[in-house]
Amino acid sequence: MKKEKIQIPREALLEQRKTRLFKILINMILILGAVIMLLPLLWMLATAFTPNTRIPPLSLIPKSFTFENFVEAWNFPSAFSYGDNKVTMGTFFKNSLISTALITVFGIIVDSLAAYVLAFKTFPGKKLFYYLALSTLMIPVYVTLVPEYLIIVKLGWVNTYKALIIPFLASGMGITLFRSSFLSVSKELEESAKIDGASNLRIYATIVMPISKPTIGTMFILKAMWSWDMYIWPLVVSTDINMKTIQIGLNLFKGLNTTEWGYLCAGMTMAILPMVIVFLCAQKQFISGLQAGAVKG
Amino acid sequence: MVVSKREKASYYLFLLPAYLVFTVFIFYPMLRSIYLSLCKYSMSSIQNAAFVGLKNYANLFKNNIFWKVLKNTAIYTLFTVPLTIAAGLFLALLINNRLVKRKTAYKVIYYVPYVSSMVACAIVFKLLFDSGTNGIINQILMKLGLQPVGFLSSNFWAMAVVILLSVWKSLGYVMIIYLGGLMGIPTEIYEAVSLDSISPWQKLRYITLPLLKPTTQFLFITQIISSFQVFTPVNVMTSGGPGYATTTLVSMLYEAGFKDGNMGKASAIAVIIFVVLTVLTMIQNKLGEED
Repeated sequence: MKKEKIQIPREALLEQRKTRLFKILINMILILGAVIMLLPLLWMLATAFTPNTRIPPLSLIPKSFTFENFVEAWNFPSAFSYGDNKVTMGTFFKNSLISTALITVFGIIVDSLAAYVLAFKTFPGKKLFYYLALSTLMIPVYVTLVPEYLIIVKLGWVNTYKALIIPFLASGMGITLFRSSFLSVSKELEESAKIDGASNLRIYATIVMPISKPTIGTMFILKAMWSWDMYIWPLVVSTDINMKTIQIGLNLFKGLNTTEWGYLCAGMTMAILPMVIVFLCAQKQFISGLQAGAVKG
Repeated sequence: MVVSKREKASYYLFLLPAYLVFTVFIFYPMLRSIYLSLCKYSMSSIQNAAFVGLKNYANLFKNNIFWKVLKNTAIYTLFTVPLTIAAGLFLALLINNRLVKRKTAYKVIYYVPYVSSMVACAIVFKLLFDSGTNGIINQILMKLGLQPVGFLSSNFWAMAVVILLSVWKSLGYVMIIYLGGLMGIPTEIYEAVSLDSISPWQKLRYITLPLLKPTTQFLFITQIISSFQVFTPVNVMTSGGPGYATTTLVSMLYEAGFKDGNMGKASAIAVIIFVVLTVLTMIQNKLGEED
């Protein structure tokens, strides 16, 4: 190719320079913002890996590296000989893990079963059921807290997994999200399977659900995040130390000993990590699912 | 397609688990909340709920602490919601710009606080803003030769730190939702106007923002609802203190119901929260219809 000296107009050059400056500016703001957003969590991580001291370290890079804090935190509170020695952070972690897993798996099944008939079938009261599901979104959790607790007392479910799990097995959010996702599945597909003699349950399990994997993914993360972070409910229904969840345990930890910075930060890291890992593994699907849910409302 | 009666009946079996849970744990408690708010009912006594009419409400309205708490909740909401939405929109607009690479990395980083446990984040902020000389921010202030600040022991700062934590934590969520809204704007619209020379500011003011209005509305309403029910950060960081400086409606409800065992008072607060939120939602919906 022949090299030609192209005369670039001064205005275009200026424009180009302006664009470049603008690009640097935007990226600088975004990087600065990202650093600020991450600083509190980075400090927590650094402190978790720094040998435990009386004065919390300022440094973001541990001067010497240790796993000791995690071991101590995991054995808390037996390490402080508080209460039953067999109960540790591990117990709290296990309680959270069990209730989160069960709420997530069974919650998705319960929500999608209801959404299946709401999306594909016609029957008396269909509209009413849909509006009832929507109305649960309008009733804040705290508004029903007192009577809900009294029901748990009456059922004799205080300090059981049942109390931590069963009230959250259905969600209006899940039903509406699954319903709108099922509506985009062609009705003919569902009907033709029906004509072939497949039962509703079979169509649900072998056709509708497999197509809706993205929605399942979104609901999986939403439910997992929500149940893992539950705070006021276990605070109220789990009075026995054996049944406390990780969030409550963490607050207990903070209340007992505020000078064991390393242990506390290690405990917090353990409480945060599962959800961050889940999010990082599925972030693409999660973000698009969340956006879809918001737009469809 | 003809559907048999038996087949139709089976549909209700699909609905049964979900609506059983709703009935027992949402609808019935909702109605029961309204009823209990009209009763004198104490957790510690064996007595049944005794109907007292509007007494619980009257007592609340006479109580200065209630008004203080209502004001706290309103201030918290008034600052948290607009700040979170403005910052989230700003970030979304920046990340959406075609000059920005590594969009996913930014999205993930800004979103991480939102997926982190609220209790843990609140404890981190408590350690950062600790009033003593051990607090991280105070250590930094002293290194700079400044006086340490009693962040969590000052009325003003305690609320400011709670607000800061909330904005920091939910900013990423708002940003993600706005990015979704921005993706939904067809590029043809921008192409059509790019023929006429308009400034980027005009583009934002007259095209982008109006088209984002449904998203903004969705965010405002959901954020107001969740802000009005703030509890965890307050309970973990300040326990409502100093004094009642950061006590919110839900923390007052929790104290009344589960510390003092006064279920009637707690239920009255719950109903007030519900009424306020319903009215706010209706106003928001009306405003949305008008344009």
